[in-house]
Amino acid sequence: MGTFSDQVIINEEIKGVKTYVMPTGVKDVVTISGSMLGGSIHCAGKNSKVSSLVASMLDKGTEKKNKYEISDMLESVGAELNFSSTRYHTHFTGFCLKNNLETVVSLLAEQLTTPRFSTEELSTLQGRISGNLIRDKENTKKLAMIQFLRTLFPRNHPNYQATIDESVESVKKASVKDLFAFHKEHYGLGSIKIAAAGDVKAEALNGLLLEAMKDWKNKKTNIPKITEKAIKPKKGSQTIKVQDKTSADLYIGQSIGINREHKDYYPLMLGVYILGGNFSARLMQTVRDKQGLTYGIGSSISGVSFGADGYWSTWGTFSPDILKKGVGATKDQINLWFDKGVTEEELSAKKTTINGSYKVSMDSTSGLTSKILSNAEQGRDLLYLDEYPKIIDAISLSEVNTAIKNHVDPEKLYMVSAGTL
Amino acid sequence: MCPKNNNKFTGYDFIKESAGIEEYVLVENSLRVLVLEDHSAPVATFMVTYHVGSRNEAIGYTGSTHLLEHLMFKGSRNFNKDKNTAIWTELQNIGAQINATTWNDRTNYFEVVPSEHLERAIAIEADRMRHAFLKDEDRQPEMTVVRNEFERGENSPFDVLDKNIWATAYQAHPYHHSTIGWRSDIENVSTERLKNFYDTYYWPNNATVTVIGDFNKKEALASINKYFSEHSKSKEPIPPVYTDEPEQEGPRRIMVKRTGQTGIVGIAHKTPKGLHEDTYALQVLSKILADGKTSRLNKLIIDKGLATSIFMYDFPFLDNGLFITYAFLTPGIDHKEVEKIIINEYNNITESGVSKEEVERAQAQIRATVAFSRDGTYAVASALNEAIAIGDWTFYTNFMDNISNATEEKIKEVVKKYFTEDQSTTGWFIAKEPKV
Repeated sequence: MGTFSDQVIINEEIKGVKTYVMPTGVKDVVTISGSMLGGSIHCAGKNSKVSSLVASMLDKGTEKKNKYEISDMLESVGAELNFSSTRYHTHFTGFCLKNNLETVVSLLAEQLTTPRFSTEELSTLQGRISGNLIRDKENTKKLAMIQFLRTLFPRNHPNYQATIDESVESVKKASVKDLFAFHKEHYGLGSIKIAAAGDVKAEALNGLLLEAMKDWKNKKTNIPKITEKAIKPKKGSQTIKVQDKTSADLYIGQSIGINREHKDYYPLMLGVYILGGNFSARLMQTVRDKQGLTYGIGSSISGVSFGADGYWSTWGTFSPDILKKGVGATKDQINLWFDKGVTEEELSAKKTTINGSYKVSMDSTSGLTSKILSNAEQGRDLLYLDEYPKIIDAISLSEVNTAIKNHVDPEKLYMVSAGTL
Repeated sequence: MCPKNNNKFTGYDFIKESAGIEEYVLVENSLRVLVLEDHSAPVATFMVTYHVGSRNEAIGYTGSTHLLEHLMFKGSRNFNKDKNTAIWTELQNIGAQINATTWNDRTNYFEVVPSEHLERAIAIEADRMRHAFLKDEDRQPEMTVVRNEFERGENSPFDVLDKNIWATAYQAHPYHHSTIGWRSDIENVSTERLKNFYDTYYWPNNATVTVIGDFNKKEALASINKYFSEHSKSKEPIPPVYTDEPEQEGPRRIMVKRTGQTGIVGIAHKTPKGLHEDTYALQVLSKILADGKTSRLNKLIIDKGLATSIFMYDFPFLDNGLFITYAFLTPGIDHKEVEKIIINEYNNITESGVSKEEVERAQAQIRATVAFSRDGTYAVASALNEAIAIGDWTFYTNFMDNISNATEEKIKEVVKKYFTEDQSTTGWFIAKEPKV
């Protein structure tokens, strides 16, 4: 099997744009995934929804083309271009047949560089996004998750979540002027990373990008230093009542006080994976498989990137009348995991899982571009993808169990449930 | 087609080849095998599709196919917890993606594995084909798991409306009930009934195995032969489903009222069997109506702020199906207004047809979708799985050619033929205000 570093061609011919191209055996299709800095964290002190509205407006017209002309160019060749915004980045993905790469790349550049941001389109979009947000008030999982994170983190922390009503208000308040200002400040060369895979040649893609982006200006957007820390873990619980729901959702967990760069991150991640990372992990094997209390339960570490201190959460879904029993069974497993730690056999099995998953993730072009881009966004060398299995292999049992003891406290778990309770 | 020398493998009859995919039948027990070597990535997908789905159920045991699918992970002769070889552990510990799904016409079990572990996936699937434990002590806790899956579905206004539309449109045919089944059947179906179901349908002559990816064809076929040929054919013929849906003689309407935030409109029309020649025109029509920003309903409904999204339900099935347009309404928008726009658009097509440009655009969109359905071993196996389910795996390989033959005239003809008021079932989800 070849390594990523053997197969991916890196290019930085355009200053401020780094491309990673991985030709594969798949015929005709090309997947492009890219990003640049410019997410909700860059709206700090202003309207936090502006970054996502800017991304969503990119396909609503450019200075030269209206939205139907853009869509027609893409749809007439079966291509897709999608834009979105997360906490730190604006993301774009493209799917096309190899013969249409030029169309897609030139449109991508045009949409990123010269958006139209019409008042009428913004107004329609605001109505649509607000409607989707309001529909989330029916979503017990989302309601529980939002409240869980609002309890763990202070308002200015990257992991804090606005309420649905706050989000709707922010969406409605945004103006075209806000969108132009955000675009002017953050959209440009500097932090762009693009991964492409499939039936694609590096020279061809880079040539197209060079032509399309050569006149774009450099922007100095950086990830701000995160100074806010999580609220100190404390025991507690909340119940969100939603009518006419036959299943309830539960979040249990706490902040962990470390980010991805901390030495305990990988050992803790492995420990949590053993608790609830997949179907053969402890929670699914006991609370679901043995006790039949839930359709789905899992545990993970999140919110640890770009210097933010993250959190550990366990999520589960339960029939409302057995929620109490489900909580008890889940806590039993958490306590057992904390008190006795994980075993050498479990650790060894999960290391094999991670190594195998690495190969399986190469099954599709979107899997490949997602892995390459995510690694690049973290500022890591491509070699890291090849070394990752070795990093995991080198972690010892005592490191895992020590990390669990250092960063988890079962006496201070916070719990939020949502449903007809 | 005559077998070529490179299609001769011990224990198999070569049947045919299409788009690089070869079909064989294991002589011993009539197990059908589809093979495609693809060395793009060090990965292989192994899938077993059983020709049994919720269409093979009836009152009292709806949801059995799905519940049985869950029990199939509880252990078999060689792969079980007592031997420390539980299925999930054996496969997830090597990094495999593993799961199973059940739908109207089929049940499929699959593993995406690092290619050196393909044999393990084959051994597991062969073992549980005829040696699954299916113990009552396993059914009890798994029933509550499945019931929670049912409850999660019931949480969703869309799922509830969709179930009601199918149940109203189909009265006699088993597509009347959803694959998850009715709650009381999930709770009360006996282990004996599930075993009976397994012993009726889980046989090599009622299954198709698909293997795609990075392997040596000769070795993979030998491995499938080694593990699956221990099973005989079913002793009894596989019972057919003979229930036809009586002709619908007028429009049907249903409403679901629950606490919620926003409304949904769903308009369904009966469609022919998936392998019917009209299916391709209906697939193109679906793109013209709602795929992309230039589509008709997107311009008429989304761009006018009347709905937040539109979803077309146009999946071909083994028996007759439904073509459903779903609109998720913007808060405050009247169901009637959106329903009228959708019906008007159907009527416009009945009268004036669609343009050549619209058809060409839709065909280009489908061409790209078909190309991406070859992106990865799982993608190919998954697309084949649905074609196998409707009765002919070459539906997948010939799909684009048939789509290319769907003309403007044909599309106008199918809209006129199927989108009649008397064949319609309209459903509204009405969001009730929460009680104070």
